[in-house]
Amino acid sequence: MGRRRPDTLSLVAGLAIVVFGAVLLLDRAGTLDLRLGAFAPLACALLGAILLTSGLVRRD
Amino acid sequence: METHEDDNPTTPAPDPSEAPTASSAATGGAAHSSPDPGPRRLYKSTDDRMVAGVCGGIADYFGIDPVIVRVIAVALVFAGGAGLLAYVAAWLLVPDRDAEPDDRPGRTATIVGAIALVLAFGALSSVWGGQFGGWHWTGPFVSLVFIGLAGLGIWYLASGETPSVGGARDILRRAGFGLALLAVCGILATAGAWATAAGGGVLVASVVIVAGIWLVAAAFVGGARWLILPALALALPAGVVSAANVNVDGGVGDREYRPLAAAQVRDTYRLGVGRLVVDLRDVDLPAGDRPLHVDLGVGQAVLVVPRDVCVTTDARLGAGQANVFARGSGGVDVDWQDEREAPAGTTRLVLDGDIGVGELDVTYEDPDSFAHDHGPGAAPGNDACIGGSRG
Repeated sequence: MGRRRPDTLSLVAGLAIVVFGAVLLLDRAGTLDLRLGAFAPLACALLGAILLTSGLVRRD
Repeated sequence: METHEDDNPTTPAPDPSEAPTASSAATGGAAHSSPDPGPRRLYKSTDDRMVAGVCGGIADYFGIDPVIVRVIAVALVFAGGAGLLAYVAAWLLVPDRDAEPDDRPGRTATIVGAIALVLAFGALSSVWGGQFGGWHWTGPFVSLVFIGLAGLGIWYLASGETPSVGGARDILRRAGFGLALLAVCGILATAGAWATAAGGGVLVASVVIVAGIWLVAAAFVGGARWLILPALALALPAGVVSAANVNVDGGVGDREYRPLAAAQVRDTYRLGVGRLVVDLRDVDLPAGDRPLHVDLGVGQAVLVVPRDVCVTTDARLGAGQANVFARGSGGVDVDWQDEREAPAGTTRLVLDGDIGVGELDVTYEDPDSFAHDHGPGAAPGNDACIGGSRG
C-alpha cells in the first residue's frame, strides 16, 4: 500500500502563511521595519502562491 | 487499443433532444424510425462556462458567439440589477445539458427562479420607466441576490467544488455556508487588525504562525483547506496595520487641543482613530526650538501654528498625504522631511509626525475652513523661517 500524498494546497498555503506570520512577528518585535511598500508585494506573493497552487491542484 | 483524436473526429456532443445526425445514421447501420425531435431545448453549457454556463447555453441555443451574450448580460447587470436577477433565475431554472432527470431543477428552484425573473422585470421597468416605473423596492432584493452570490462565491472558493444545480435548497445551503464563513472571516479580520493596532501584534503574528503550522501538519493527514481563508483573513489586515504602523492607543474620536499658554503645550499629542487638531495660535511660544510629537493611527492630524513660528518637519506616513502649508506629498510610505532654520529670536517648532493612515496638515488657517481649502494653491507658509516659503 503506497503512502498517502500530502495535500499540496494545504502544504503550500501553510508554508506561505508561516513565512508571512514570521515577517509580521519580526516587524512587531522591532527586528524588521515592514513598510506598506514591502508589504504589498509580500501579500501578493502569498495570495499568488495559494491561488496558483489551487489552480494547479484542480487541474491535476 | 489506443484511441487518437484523429481517428475520432471531434463533433459537438449530440443533444439528446435533437434529431439523429447524418453521421449517426451512417455509422449506426441500423436505421430506426426517428421520433419527433420536439422543440429545441435550452440547456446550460457544460463546456463553455464562466460562472454557471447560462450565457454559453443561450449562445448555443441561438447559434451565436457567447461573448455577445456575456456582454449583453453584463450590460443588463447595470440596468437596475435586472441582468443579475435574470441570470440567477436562469441558473435555477435551466437544466445542465448532461443532467439526469433527477438532477433537474425541482419545484422550489422553479418558484425561486420565477420570483427572480419577476424581480428582474421589475428592476428593468424602474430603469426604463413605463407602466411599472414606480418599482423601487427591487433594490433590497437585488442586494440580497448580491449577498447570496457573494456567499456562493465564498463557498466555491473555500470548498473547491464546482457550482451546479442541486436544487434551490442546496444552493441556499451553500450560500448560507459561504456567508457564515464570510462573517467569521470579517470578524477575524477586524479583531486581528484591531488587536495589532492596540499593541497585540505579537500575539496575532503567533496565531498566524500556529495556523500555518497547523495547515502544514494537516497536509499530511488529508489537509485542512477550510483553515486557509480564516488564516488569511487574520493575517492580511494585521499585516496592513503593522506595515502602516497604525496605533490606536490614543483612543477613538475627534480631539481638539487649543492651549492658551506655552506651559499647556504638550510634548506629544496622540490619537488612535479620528481627527486630531492642535491649535497653537493663542500661544506665545518662547524663542528657540520647541519639539512637538504628533502620533495618529488613522485619520487626520491638523497642526495650526502662529504666523511668527517657523516649523521644521520630520513626518512618516504609512499611507496618506502630508500637507505642510502650501506644499504636500502623498502616497504609500511617505517620509516627509522639511528641515528649516529660524532666525535668531524666533520660535522654531520641531514637528515629529507619525501617521499610520491618513493626513497630516500644518497650516496657519482655521482648522475648520482649512479642511476645505488647502493644498497647492493655498497661501504659502513658513514665512518665519530663513528663506521663507521656499519650495
